[in-house]
Amino acid sequence: MTNHWSDMVHADVIMIMGSNAAENHPIATKWITRAKEKGAIVVSADPRYTRTSSFADVYCKFRSGTDIAFVGGMINYALQNDFVQKDYVLNYTNASFIISEKYGFDDGLFTGYNPASRSYDKSHWAYELDGKGMPVRDMTLQHPRCAFQLLKKHFQRYDVDTVCNITGAPRDVYLQVCRHYTSTWAPDRVGTWLYAMGATQHTHGTQNIRTYAILQLLLGNVGLAGGGVNALRGESNVQGSTDMALLFHILPGYLASPTAADQSLAAYLASNTPRTNDPKSANWWGNYPKYIVSLLKAWYGGHAARENDFAFSYIPKRSGDYSWISLFEAMYAGQIKGLMLFGQNPAVGGPNTNKEIKALEKLDWMVAVDLWETETASIWKRPGVKPADIKTEIFLLPSASSVEKEGSITNSARWAQWRYAAVHPVGNSRSDLWILDALCKAVKKEYAAGGVFPEPITRLAWDYGTGEEVDVRKEPDVHRVAKEINGYFTQEKTVGGRQYKKGEQVPGFALLQDDGSTCSGNWLYCNSYAGPEKKDNKMARRSKRDAMNGIGLYPDWAWCWPVNRRILYNRASVDPTGKPWNPKRWVIRWNAGKKQWEGDVPDGPWPPGEKHPFIMKPDGHAWLFAGNLNDGPLPEHYEPLESPLPNMMSRQQVNPAIKLWHKDAPEMNAVGTADRFPIVGTTYRVSEHWQAGAMTRNLPWLAELVPDVFVEMGVDLARQKGVQNGDRVTLETARGKMSGYALVTRRFEPFRHNGKIVHEVGVIWHFGYQGIVKGDSANVLTPHVGDANTMIPEYKAFLCNVYKAKGGAS
Amino acid sequence: MKALLIDVTRCVGCRGCQVACKEWNELPAEKTRFFASPKGYQNPRDLSSKTWRVVTYNEAQTNGRFEWVFGHLQCFHCIEPSCATACPVSALQKTKEGPVVYDPDRCLGCRYCQLACPFLVPRFEWDKAIPKITKCTMCADRVAAGEEPACAKVCPTDAIVFGEREDLIAEAENRIHRNPRGYVHHIYGKDEVGGTCVLHLSNVPFEVLGYRTDLPKISLREYTKTAMQVVPHVKIGLAVALGAVSWVIQRRIRNGRDEKNGSSSGGES
Ligand code: SF4
Ligand code: SF4
Ligand code: SF4
Repeated sequence: MTNHWSDMVHADVIMIMGSNAAENHPIATKWITRAKEKGAIVVSADPRYTRTSSFADVYCKFRSGTDIAFVGGMINYALQNDFVQKDYVLNYTNASFIISEKYGFDDGLFTGYNPASRSYDKSHWAYELDGKGMPVRDMTLQHPRCAFQLLKKHFQRYDVDTVCNITGAPRDVYLQVCRHYTSTWAPDRVGTWLYAMGATQHTHGTQNIRTYAILQLLLGNVGLAGGGVNALRGESNVQGSTDMALLFHILPGYLASPTAADQSLAAYLASNTPRTNDPKSANWWGNYPKYIVSLLKAWYGGHAARENDFAFSYIPKRSGDYSWISLFEAMYAGQIKGLMLFGQNPAVGGPNTNKEIKALEKLDWMVAVDLWETETASIWKRPGVKPADIKTEIFLLPSASSVEKEGSITNSARWAQWRYAAVHPVGNSRSDLWILDALCKAVKKEYAAGGVFPEPITRLAWDYGTGEEVDVRKEPDVHRVAKEINGYFTQEKTVGGRQYKKGEQVPGFALLQDDGSTCSGNWLYCNSYAGPEKKDNKMARRSKRDAMNGIGLYPDWAWCWPVNRRILYNRASVDPTGKPWNPKRWVIRWNAGKKQWEGDVPDGPWPPGEKHPFIMKPDGHAWLFAGNLNDGPLPEHYEPLESPLPNMMSRQQVNPAIKLWHKDAPEMNAVGTADRFPIVGTTYRVSEHWQAGAMTRNLPWLAELVPDVFVEMGVDLARQKGVQNGDRVTLETARGKMSGYALVTRRFEPFRHNGKIVHEVGVIWHFGYQGIVKGDSANVLTPHVGDANTMIPEYKAFLCNVYKAKGGAS
Repeated sequence: MKALLIDVTRCVGCRGCQVACKEWNELPAEKTRFFASPKGYQNPRDLSSKTWRVVTYNEAQTNGRFEWVFGHLQCFHCIEPSCATACPVSALQKTKEGPVVYDPDRCLGCRYCQLACPFLVPRFEWDKAIPKITKCTMCADRVAAGEEPACAKVCPTDAIVFGEREDLIAEAENRIHRNPRGYVHHIYGKDEVGGTCVLHLSNVPFEVLGYRTDLPKISLREYTKTAMQVVPHVKIGLAVALGAVSWVIQRRIRNGRDEKNGSSSGGES
């Protein structure tokens, strides 16, 4: 989230799209309800009328997978009606930047496309530079190749009728949504945009979010209280685990994971450190060398020195895409022998689970660290298989739950909050930290005996207070871990006139060094544990004092990255002279007398106008036009991989830059067509269950609330299929079938596209063959296909058919 | 006198309250199945000795608008509770703080209270050798300790709030006044059966939520008392004892039918 949970109370309009906040983030509704009390308008855009829609002022339906058309139409509406915060757009976005002559767009394709590799040459979308290497700008925004005009031209095609034909949104309701939301262009009005996996889990998921960002920038809503682009994360600590490099393409702190081309630290830095010739650009990522060197120092301590390139050669270099689907495809192809799972349950949660379970069967061994024996840990005894036929050796390590261990979790709002162990772990279960500590020590011992390239393991700096031997009674010191993540001086060092002693905690990331004198496990968390004592652990703070602007920042409650900045991009909340766009709920403001900012921690200390506000961008401006994405600099509507309709915008049916697994690895990757599978299917969660269900289907109180899988379907479709509420139905896709109870409801309405009726059904995906309540997993239905930038699977839109099955409930 | 105000326009149906109730009161889970009627989400189907609070899911078309509204089944904590009046051994008591509490050690298991309650709240422990009556206590133990009831505490949207009954009525009137188009102009429980300590506000007619709208505005206590006093002993034919309150019998018949059909007292409009 750019903003935070309690900040939603400041919004005048709250758009909830691709999120069912009431069901999956019920606490968000506390703040949304308070905003409503103050007169805010809440809009829920969703294929299905949900518990979120039930408290919205406007509910607008749209077919799964047509988000870009939906928001593209809103962008067009704002541009056509001039509902644009002009000063903001002109000064703070790249609207005025001139784009290369090579840029073009025709029939769904941007210039630079190579059909053989299904990829783009992004140099076609670069800025035009002047002799000094500075981007050429047209401050009148009239130049036909300025980003603003290109944006306008691109989205002109998304007129209301076209949009409603593609999305199936009712025209009058859609116009209401446009009117409400674009009203926030006025400097004294603000809108917040909330989204979740309904937006991201598409073959064009990244571009879905781009449409939100573009609209929010045009309306001047980023950086303001009650504004921003806010991802409601799908798991309580997923922000923390992403910060700490959950994903394959990043190291802790969003540093790029090195590739095989990065043969030296210098080569790595050359390809990753952005440069700018603009003196007004802070170009924060220019600090790349300090962050990576400090990280290597945290990992390899004294073994990381300038002489050995700070042990850069020790860390793995990737030679491709190791995202979820790719890993399971490789596993299926027999290329992966072993798998460690910490709290993950791919047999329920992965896409195309029939294939993923087959892939798991090809492993030699698997270690599942979990609270319960999950479906994944028990594939060898799943219904319909003979245990003797499953060769994978499976180890189940019982782990402690969140209330049984101390540590931090980082919520969607980037707040790292310290928690304490309330009770001892049950039975022989151990914290993840204990398991990792013991594992690492054991593996180090193995490599100490020799190996092909043992140094990356044997030289790891690893001391969390448990000694050399594995000892079940010794819990690693989680404070040592936290302090190392923050970072400390590895030698005496003078910075900015102040001398720091060896071992002293680094007070903030601005002090991290690229000469090996500091270490930091994650530069973004530098400042979270700024001293040697437990009292210096800012994540444990619990003060309810508010900042002087009184907008509920609560700066002394826990700690938030970066450097406790509660609202990101807050330099955009003021005009170029430092005056808040909206003085009534100001985030920061320039105190000319004291020559300093007050309010939230600003995005950098410079006086107003001295630096451009979007300091993480090399050009200092927010990108309406984003030349770095794999599938184009502007979002364009494509249909999901499986869709009942032709793309009405162009002849490119699907995102031209996605990997087509059904072509590259056809086995168990069938793709369905509308003749056999005419119904759109989607998957989602309910309040009562959690993810793949291990944590909730094993809890009697939650199991009683939702004891079975159900399939929600509209009244018309049910009538056509002869299905009554409570009947058993089977859902089938080209990849698998599963059954559940039919929940026939008016909350799922058919869509009308150019006169053609399309039905959609939805199914909860929490179930599996383990736990006290069981049911079929919906992910046997979903395909192996991912977003062009992130490879997040397209769980949210596929083709299926539905049949009445035997049995039913009363 | 303390009370709860339940504003269904704020309720998002997350059921935190329902789980918190079980957690605080250490009530076991029930074995449930998908509940087709009314619409899938509601579970357990109805109040029981193990379930003192149930959120109901109601699809409705009102004022040309489609709505999904969430109703709430639990004890109303009547100001003059007919359950307490009907109880021959005073196992049920109205406390001056507001909660209507009961003493399971005193309960005879006669079920008079169940028949007397206009809302069909007290439930019998059918699965026990010596079954007693149970129901929501307004978390009297928490209230006595100065805490709010568990359901109110956990509710993320403040759809359930706890406070002095007078203050809550003023607050409810204020909400209706501030947003006259957003509410039915009625505080359910303000006057029903002489007033209750659980008050409801709604944006849809209360019958849509499955609430009874045929109740008198006066206390039923006098009827119940009369019914109990005309005969000297408690071991008396139920029909005779309750003949004076014919609506109760009507209710009871409906109750019997509902129990047989396995459907709920809350439900779809
Ligand atoms: S906790 Fe509150 S919002 Fe959730 S169901 Fe209960 S009353 Fe409604
Ligand atoms: S609702 Fe029924 S059980 Fe509750 S106090 Fe009133 S009469 Fe008694
Ligand atoms: S007041 Fe207490 S006992 Fe009654 S429903 Fe709420 S949580 Fe349950």
